[in-house]
Amino acid sequence: MSDVDPILVEIVEGTLASVEMEVETSIARTARSPMIRDAHDFRAGIHDVRLRKLTGRSYSALVHPVVRDFPIETMRPGDVYFHNDVYLSEGGIGHLPDLCVTVPVFHEGEVVAFVQAFGHHDDIGGAVPGSMPSHARSAFEEGLMVPPIKLWDQGVPNRAALTIMTRNSRMPDSLAGDLDAECSACLMGARRLGEIFDRYGRAAVEACFDAIIAKTTETFRRELLSKIPEGVHVWEDYAEHDGVDEPRLHTQRITLTVDHSAEVPLTIDFTGTSAQAKGPINHAGDYADGVFLKKWLAPVLRNLADTPERMAELDVNEGVVPLIRMVFPEKGTLLTPIFPAPTNARTFVILRLLGVLAGVLAKATGGRMPADQETIRYTGVYGESDDGPYLMREVLGGGSGGRWYADGEDTIHVVPDSRNIPVEFAESRWPFLVERLGLAVDSGGPGQFRGGLGYDKHIRMLRDASFMSIADRSILSCWGVNGGRAGRPFLVTVNGEEMEGLVDDFPVKAGEIVRVKTTGGGGWGSPYEREAARVAADVRDGKVSVEAAKNDYGVVLHGPRDDPRIDEEATARLRAAARADAPTPRDAFFDRGPGYPRLSGGLAHADVDHL
Amino acid sequence: MGSVRIGVDTGGTFTDVVLVDEETGEIVTTKTPSTPANPADGFMAGVHKVLELHAGSDDLGGVAAIVHGTTVATNQLLEDRPDGTEHLGFVTTEGFEFILEIARQSVPDGYGNSYFWVKPPRIVPVRRVRTVGGRLDHLGREVRSFDEAGAVQAARWFAENGVTAIGVCFLHSYANPAHERRMREVIEREHPDAVVSLSSDVLREYREYERSVTTLVDAAVKPIMRRYIGNLSDRIGRPFSVMKSNGGVLSASEVVHQPITTVLSGPAAGALGAALIAGTAGHPGVITLDGGGTSTDVAVVVDGEPSLTTEGTIGRYPCKIPMIDIVTVGAGGGSIAWISPEGTLKVGPRSAGADPGPLCYGRGGTEVTVTDAHVFLGRVPPHLLGGEIPLDVSAARAGIEALAGKLGLSPERCATGILEISAFNQSNAIRQITVKRGLDVRDFPMVAFGGSGPLLACRLIDILGLRAAIVPPNPGNVSAFGLLTVDVKNDYVRTHVSRDPSRETLRAVFAELEGQAAAALDREGFTSHVYARSADLRYYGQAYEVRVPAPDGPLDDGWRAAVVDRFHEAHQRLYGYGYRDDPRHAVEWVNLRVSGIGPITRPAIARVPYQPEEPSPIATRDVFYERWGRTVIYRRADLGAGAVVTGPAVVEEYGSTLPVHPGFTATMDDYGNLVVVSDS
Repeated sequence: MSDVDPILVEIVEGTLASVEMEVETSIARTARSPMIRDAHDFRAGIHDVRLRKLTGRSYSALVHPVVRDFPIETMRPGDVYFHNDVYLSEGGIGHLPDLCVTVPVFHEGEVVAFVQAFGHHDDIGGAVPGSMPSHARSAFEEGLMVPPIKLWDQGVPNRAALTIMTRNSRMPDSLAGDLDAECSACLMGARRLGEIFDRYGRAAVEACFDAIIAKTTETFRRELLSKIPEGVHVWEDYAEHDGVDEPRLHTQRITLTVDHSAEVPLTIDFTGTSAQAKGPINHAGDYADGVFLKKWLAPVLRNLADTPERMAELDVNEGVVPLIRMVFPEKGTLLTPIFPAPTNARTFVILRLLGVLAGVLAKATGGRMPADQETIRYTGVYGESDDGPYLMREVLGGGSGGRWYADGEDTIHVVPDSRNIPVEFAESRWPFLVERLGLAVDSGGPGQFRGGLGYDKHIRMLRDASFMSIADRSILSCWGVNGGRAGRPFLVTVNGEEMEGLVDDFPVKAGEIVRVKTTGGGGWGSPYEREAARVAADVRDGKVSVEAAKNDYGVVLHGPRDDPRIDEEATARLRAAARADAPTPRDAFFDRGPGYPRLSGGLAHADVDHL
Repeated sequence: MGSVRIGVDTGGTFTDVVLVDEETGEIVTTKTPSTPANPADGFMAGVHKVLELHAGSDDLGGVAAIVHGTTVATNQLLEDRPDGTEHLGFVTTEGFEFILEIARQSVPDGYGNSYFWVKPPRIVPVRRVRTVGGRLDHLGREVRSFDEAGAVQAARWFAENGVTAIGVCFLHSYANPAHERRMREVIEREHPDAVVSLSSDVLREYREYERSVTTLVDAAVKPIMRRYIGNLSDRIGRPFSVMKSNGGVLSASEVVHQPITTVLSGPAAGALGAALIAGTAGHPGVITLDGGGTSTDVAVVVDGEPSLTTEGTIGRYPCKIPMIDIVTVGAGGGSIAWISPEGTLKVGPRSAGADPGPLCYGRGGTEVTVTDAHVFLGRVPPHLLGGEIPLDVSAARAGIEALAGKLGLSPERCATGILEISAFNQSNAIRQITVKRGLDVRDFPMVAFGGSGPLLACRLIDILGLRAAIVPPNPGNVSAFGLLTVDVKNDYVRTHVSRDPSRETLRAVFAELEGQAAAALDREGFTSHVYARSADLRYYGQAYEVRVPAPDGPLDDGWRAAVVDRFHEAHQRLYGYGYRDDPRHAVEWVNLRVSGIGPITRPAIARVPYQPEEPSPIATRDVFYERWGRTVIYRRADLGAGAVVTGPAVVEEYGSTLPVHPGFTATMDDYGNLVVVSDS
């Protein structure tokens, strides 16, 4: 850092953030696939010529597969590269609907950086509308696989490639439109980035890139990793079903070894992770030394910072990579699947891994981490409307886990700026009425800091249709920690009939109601330590029922629901008895909810749940 | 009727006043301290002061019009006072009581922030939300009838619980306001003391969460605005107008019914004033940069008109009423320079404000600010307001030296670095607002005004490749002047989502919108009306619309084709692609809009006399640009049209300073503006 100008570093970093934002804004405003348009399931990233990610707000795909197949010296201004092939993406692409566009940035005739965007498109073919067949047994059922290709050659689009891709999609127009949006936005970003090289020169700008990355390495080491005690820490969590086999525990395990004096202080070893699933919950992670997963998981480390404000300031760029070594099990596990194992529901693994890392850190730090959240699942209806066939698919968030400083929040989403679909938009486009968009009472895990609540959404179909969902955590709950209890799992009923988490096409008749309840976050700390007044406020606000106040929190209330009064004496009595009976953290540091014994053969806790 | 028009812009620190005498063309400007406890005191003091300066008497007899710009109504929301919305309640459709808690489910900023993000408080907590039965569909047809008994219950609950301002938003009320109107009748009967805002009055546009919040902002500010306007009316004893965020004005008596239209009107006036000044000087398209103490406001003017947006926010709250599109960055004179935990130099967004203010104010400030860097480098004089307030140069120097020591830099590099980062923060805001509109920043000159706006003009020309920077006379008073350049303007919108709207529908909707606009202009006493149509369209499947102006004349097939054509063109310009000739991509109409405009006579800006001889400096001072050097100082009042100042130099006036860097030249144009260009 000593030989670079700290002022220029600040200017370059500000420009990178500004360009990343401009590219994402441009895509968001013109996109048509609901996953991009509303759920914001797309990301822009800026990478240097050494393929290092420079920006820090988002996760992103990798440039590695592009330069593997197209050497940098063969690239020309106006070239645009494209890929979505999971097994040829070096681990940067998780499932086929994520289409990735890469544009090289030129300075004085040489490639100096890359601007990349990838987004989750409506449909790229395959067995079911939306290209996410939950019962797929092979990648060939999941859609069209495109290895890295040159989609534009020096400004000229490759019409043949575009025609093949749109021909293979059920939604060719939105696919074409969204690809145009991504290409135009990346080309704009590449021009903007070129300007900063022109102004300050390549050497000065690249010195700033080095400094920006080194700064992240140092900050993470000094401010976050130092909070984890040295030693070996083990924890695991599970996906509950894969769409093919009966529900069972699909283990994802992390053995975290911390050695502050080592050059690479963290080792994340996935050994102990279950065999690859027959169904589509695999994630091809063991490529390029796990560089994608390192950047995907590192944001969890930010929870170790001193305040939520500080956590939000910390960027995750390539600087986290030198701090983490990854050890993958042999080929053939959930994280090391063998082609053509299906991957379309790989969120079951990569989202869960965020939680496994949070859990292992909670264990290592005596609970100074948030309880569990689950925020991605797809629910939708499809069929025929007056305008022809339609697919309404939404990503509804869930509650976040309680934290040592605050309750979890209601209906949030791990993807930044991901949005639900406005009811007034939905009803003008698709044949249903939303009868309720509320919070699922009692869904938040009880705790001194309660888990956030999930949705309670009721949709009344006006025409016959099919229901689909891709959801984990329909049996297992978001775990509570440090005495906090698990949240309620995901549950859909169609006309009162309970659905499983993975549904491709369940018939819904006109007039019937689809009721979607999403997961509540886990609780943090003992619910008996929660202030009784806060429990009463939750009851007044409709977030906790009078019964749960008594049974889960030991708080006895009387009077009207919208102005409940605390029976102090009965509460003290009940809480004293409950504290005496409650399990201590010595018994189990995590609560996985009532679904766990169902899949574990009756065990209340896993071995790794004990401190 | 007199010939004098007065603009009063009440800001946080100062109340700026401008008087235009339409007979003589004379323009008089002044400032008085603002009086936040009762802003009317500062308002009246300012009016009297400017009249004294103009005619030697504070008599209001010769005044034809007073236009007022104020942020009084919004301060309670922006300052985020916990008691700011305690009087506020919300009524919505049964089943949707959590709509504000859920919002759009989005977590701002970075990936993974959902683990630690703490949601800020909602504008109305769920305990003060009531729901009422009754349901419409998206075409406004009744699915279930309005639950009158439930409505009575809700109104009584508000009365019993001290809720005095109520926002009402029912699903699909943009298509049919009947249920909301019945709710208002019930509240008027059961709880007559409450003020009510209906979403179908505030914003007849779909998307329920955003419409709800917009309606609640209106309801929240209504009681305060009514009190404030009432008080002011009593003091002035005559009608006056209030500036709106959409770039129009409206009489005070009308504005109290829709106070949301006035929020953020302060920056709007600045952009309008700058647009008129630049237009007069022959620049119809400019970027406007209004630099203040804590922040800088940036807007784009095309063909003399600042561009509008309906995606603004008031503090944390989305507000979808039309407002002049302004990007605000936390980069002003008081912005604080600090060292991040990672060891890099940062500037802002925290500000020392006016109190304690920068180190050099000597009022107990302890942190280095942008102003301190300017003072240390000699680029501004060692005093403010023409010498009224002396500045402590040694305090600025000591602060800069200490900061430079920590960074291992020379004090000069540290100070220029603070200014460079501040300039980049401003330039990124300018890029954002131009990129968003598909414009190339290099095609535009920039009008730099406000107390701190001109200070970085040369750096911004360089960074952005601007053609020129225009610094108007009295840069600190452009906002107040802008108040006098504004027409009466009201906006009306109707959502009608269709890929093929019939001529009959279009005629019916526009007839209704233009009828509403006409009635409002009649009430304001205008005999000549202008109706400006526009429409929001998108490609089928997109979620965001592009607004295009729509032609006047009969609403026939040719009219429809012209609007669609403008949409294709605008999409191509904004995003780099469009589908004019590709019928696979259907175009969808979303919103139809009419603005009713009552035109006023704009003030004429007088020419300044030509200056035959070279301007002579009033002094020299040590100033650091690329190195320390004895630098000439000019007094702006000494310069006439055609005067040329070659950098390095500094041009000083009462409320502002223009440092002219080496390699730059400032030339005074015929209207007294200093036009700065790069020599290269």
